[in-house]
Amino acid sequence: MRILLALSVCLLSPRAWGDAVADPESLIHRLARTAPASVGFVEVRYSSLLRAPIVVSGELTYLGPARLDRDVTAPYREHTAIRDESVSIEREGEQPRTLALRRAPELRGLLTGFSGVLAGDSAAVKRSFAIAAKGADDAWTLELTPLDPGMQRRLDRIVVTGAAGEPRCLLVFGPHEAATVMLLGAAALNLRADVALAQLLEHCRAE
Amino acid sequence: MSGPRVAWLLLAAWIAGVISLGVWVQSELVVGSDLRLFLPRATTREQGLLLDEIGEGPAARALVVALEGAPPERLAEASRALVESLSASSEFRWAANGDVPLESFPEDLLPYRFLLSPTIDSRELDAEYLHGELVKRARDLSSPAGLVLEPLLPRDPTLEVLALVQRWQPAQEPRRQFDVWFDRSGRRALLIAETVAPAFDPGGQRAALAELERALRGAGADGIAMTVSGTGYFSVLMEARTRAEIGWLGTATTIAMLVLLLVAYRRVGSLLYSALPLLSAGVVGLAAVSAIFGSVHGITLAFGFTLIGVAQDYPLHLLSHRHAGITAIETARRLWPALATGVASTCIAYFTFFFSGVLGLAQLACFTVSGLAVAGLTTRFVLPHALGAGAPDYGASVLLGRLWTAIAGLPRPRWAGVALLGVCALAFFAARQPFWENDLGKLTPVPTDLLEKDRELRAELGTPDLRYLLVLDAVDAPDALARLEQLDPALVSLVGTGAIAGYDDAARYVPSPATQRARQARLPDATALRAALAEAQLDTPFRPDVFEPFIADVERARVAPVLTLERAAATPLGARLGILLKSVDGETRALVTFTGVRDPAALRALADSDGAIFLDLKEASETLVAGERARILVSLAIAALLLLAVVSVALRSPARTLRVLAPMALTTVVVLAVLRATGVSLNLFHLISLVLVAGLGLDYALFFEHAADDASEQRRTLHAVLVCSLSTLMVFALLAISDLPVLRAVGLPVTIGVVSNFALALLLTRPDARLESHVAVHRGPAKTKARR
Repeated sequence: MRILLALSVCLLSPRAWGDAVADPESLIHRLARTAPASVGFVEVRYSSLLRAPIVVSGELTYLGPARLDRDVTAPYREHTAIRDESVSIEREGEQPRTLALRRAPELRGLLTGFSGVLAGDSAAVKRSFAIAAKGADDAWTLELTPLDPGMQRRLDRIVVTGAAGEPRCLLVFGPHEAATVMLLGAAALNLRADVALAQLLEHCRAE
Repeated sequence: MSGPRVAWLLLAAWIAGVISLGVWVQSELVVGSDLRLFLPRATTREQGLLLDEIGEGPAARALVVALEGAPPERLAEASRALVESLSASSEFRWAANGDVPLESFPEDLLPYRFLLSPTIDSRELDAEYLHGELVKRARDLSSPAGLVLEPLLPRDPTLEVLALVQRWQPAQEPRRQFDVWFDRSGRRALLIAETVAPAFDPGGQRAALAELERALRGAGADGIAMTVSGTGYFSVLMEARTRAEIGWLGTATTIAMLVLLLVAYRRVGSLLYSALPLLSAGVVGLAAVSAIFGSVHGITLAFGFTLIGVAQDYPLHLLSHRHAGITAIETARRLWPALATGVASTCIAYFTFFFSGVLGLAQLACFTVSGLAVAGLTTRFVLPHALGAGAPDYGASVLLGRLWTAIAGLPRPRWAGVALLGVCALAFFAARQPFWENDLGKLTPVPTDLLEKDRELRAELGTPDLRYLLVLDAVDAPDALARLEQLDPALVSLVGTGAIAGYDDAARYVPSPATQRARQARLPDATALRAALAEAQLDTPFRPDVFEPFIADVERARVAPVLTLERAAATPLGARLGILLKSVDGETRALVTFTGVRDPAALRALADSDGAIFLDLKEASETLVAGERARILVSLAIAALLLLAVVSVALRSPARTLRVLAPMALTTVVVLAVLRATGVSLNLFHLISLVLVAGLGLDYALFFEHAADDASEQRRTLHAVLVCSLSTLMVFALLAISDLPVLRAVGLPVTIGVVSNFALALLLTRPDARLESHVAVHRGPAKTKARR
């Protein structure tokens, strides 16, 4: 956890960035996508339970506010459909699993934040998060910190990095060194499978 | 002479006695509302179970609640708040809306998951199984569910708790939105709340409904409309309606009665005193029931006051027969033979109910017999002392004289009687509806639209079918659980064939000790499990030591004492277990409830082959009602014979006995025929009303017979019977036009009966007009003198 914090402080430290971006709200507006919009991703999952991070890749499809599909294509196939208040996960050869968002404040927070950004709805994002933006137009960072104490216990913060109107990485920091780094579009190319979190954070920041 | 002083003292003492008895009754009387009091003792095992289940059974106690009128998310919030406050309420045993928080699984029961779930029945906790699970968990971890599941994994890498919570969900789950049950349209949030009070306890149910309203307001549910449905709600609703109806009927009949009596007697004082016999009857009747039975059923009260209403006639006879030159005491003395015969025969008839084997009817007998006897005695020995001299003599009434002559002149051909019987027989056999009403529910019928709504809500919720139950009697809880487990494969196959949609029993939640021990024997010890895990983890991304909490849990499950029902009862499972399993007389009775029963015969066959009892509540209640009716009919037959005997002895002449009893017998036939012709199936209420009709008819005939020889006495009797029958007619005609079937069932027969009794008593009981003078000559001088 401490390592993560240090790393993210390093990631967010202003000296690394160019001209300051205006404000988080206009950044969110710039990130808005019109549904449907798809982007390829590579996701790296870190956890204190794991010896090595788990890497999966696939495609993310934004279908409109609170409607999101996440399809994993490698190394196995998995389809996740997020529809309003419920998340259903289907994997080949297994019983589908349905989760209610109310039961999982961390997941709800993640999805509200994510969906809010994709919809350009800064008001929706601000209902659940304190938002801050740093960096310059060519390399910015948007940080969402949950307001709800229940959510805080299980979701540390969400960080989006990118350049101009394009998001590059989506980082989710949980408790106990849990972290998920999702590299979007071009950022996902040429990624080594055994990459360490520190290198990955550097990668998210780089051009 | 101290005569008048003694009389006034007697009157004052009597009134004081009645008042103090009334005060005692007021403080002692417990009014019950358990319908079972009016059902006979069970003769079969099925009936015994039925009596246990009626009103107390799980289905009867469960109120279905629907919330609507707001966006689903708000409805779900209100539903959750409601369940939370109802679960904490003392009026409700439990409430459910489908929301099963994982945290509700008690921490100290967590290790038991391997003993409660069938997972390891078919497989071992070996390296192969664990490897498969860990591969899935790794994938779960990098799925969106990962954040949620991650904290659970070290202790429960097979996610056994989730499997268990899923297993405990109802077989047929309603649609869920925001984690709680909704109807198919998604517009109404649904929940179930089981009351502590039995369904037929309107008081307890009213308190529960008030609590429900309070809880909804507490949930901050402005603008959300709540619909409640269920047997308990209906009993409150029907009681309120009956009470309101009786309220205005009571007011209307009291005013009408006062007007009638004022017109008839023109004396306010006499009027007040004439209430004394009925008042005494009510108070003494209540005191007798209270002293003998401890409590009195609401229906006993309602019927009882209907039946002792005949006592209001007693003082009216006295008032109508007063005239100049004779004291009220003397009038009472002269009327006494007719009055005493009427009171005694009615009392003896009602007394047979005492032995009907139905507690409610025994109470009714006690109430009416003591009440009527006291009313008769009050009219004879107390009331006359209160009545002064100087009453108008109705024997001198010209109008009544002309009326009497006109009636006496009416032709009375025998063929008319035969024709009447013929018409009655025709009406009797032409009617197509069943003769008897066997449906217990029809006793207090609920409007069909409410029943329809109830059915619809229960279908949406998939609540257990109200009608069918499987019952297993076992020596103790472990035995019951073991027998339920034996039954399980057959039940599963019935679900498979579609005979039933689902079932629920205690063994679904807590397996028998034998099964739990068998599962314990299949659990690996810590060393073996650690080795298996190490092997399973090899090619997974998990760190070697992260599952130590899991190994500790399995070890605890392996050596722990098995989970007993007593222990499970203290958990959130307790409420459901309490319904499905209970101890009865030192034995344990287990219930299997069903949803969507399509083939009851298959369930019956299953029960027969497994030594269980298949209970069709509808069928059992119908045989019960039929059995009760048989007992009442036997009581009535004995009552009729006793009545015949008493009247014969009192009148000492077969011809006079026939004259007195003929109108009553014929009226019974007429009332039955009219009921048949108007499409009515007879129930308990009709039978009791027929008894009242017979009692009234007997009184009218006895008084006409008593006055047969004397023109003035005839006019006075005509006056008395006119006032009596008019007042009775007024009361019961109002009941007959009521919306409530119960009140109609009492009002209609009595209305028809009073008219028929009056007409037939006039036509059949009084002797031929031609003979009048001859008879008068043969009678004693006192009466001849009185006529002058």
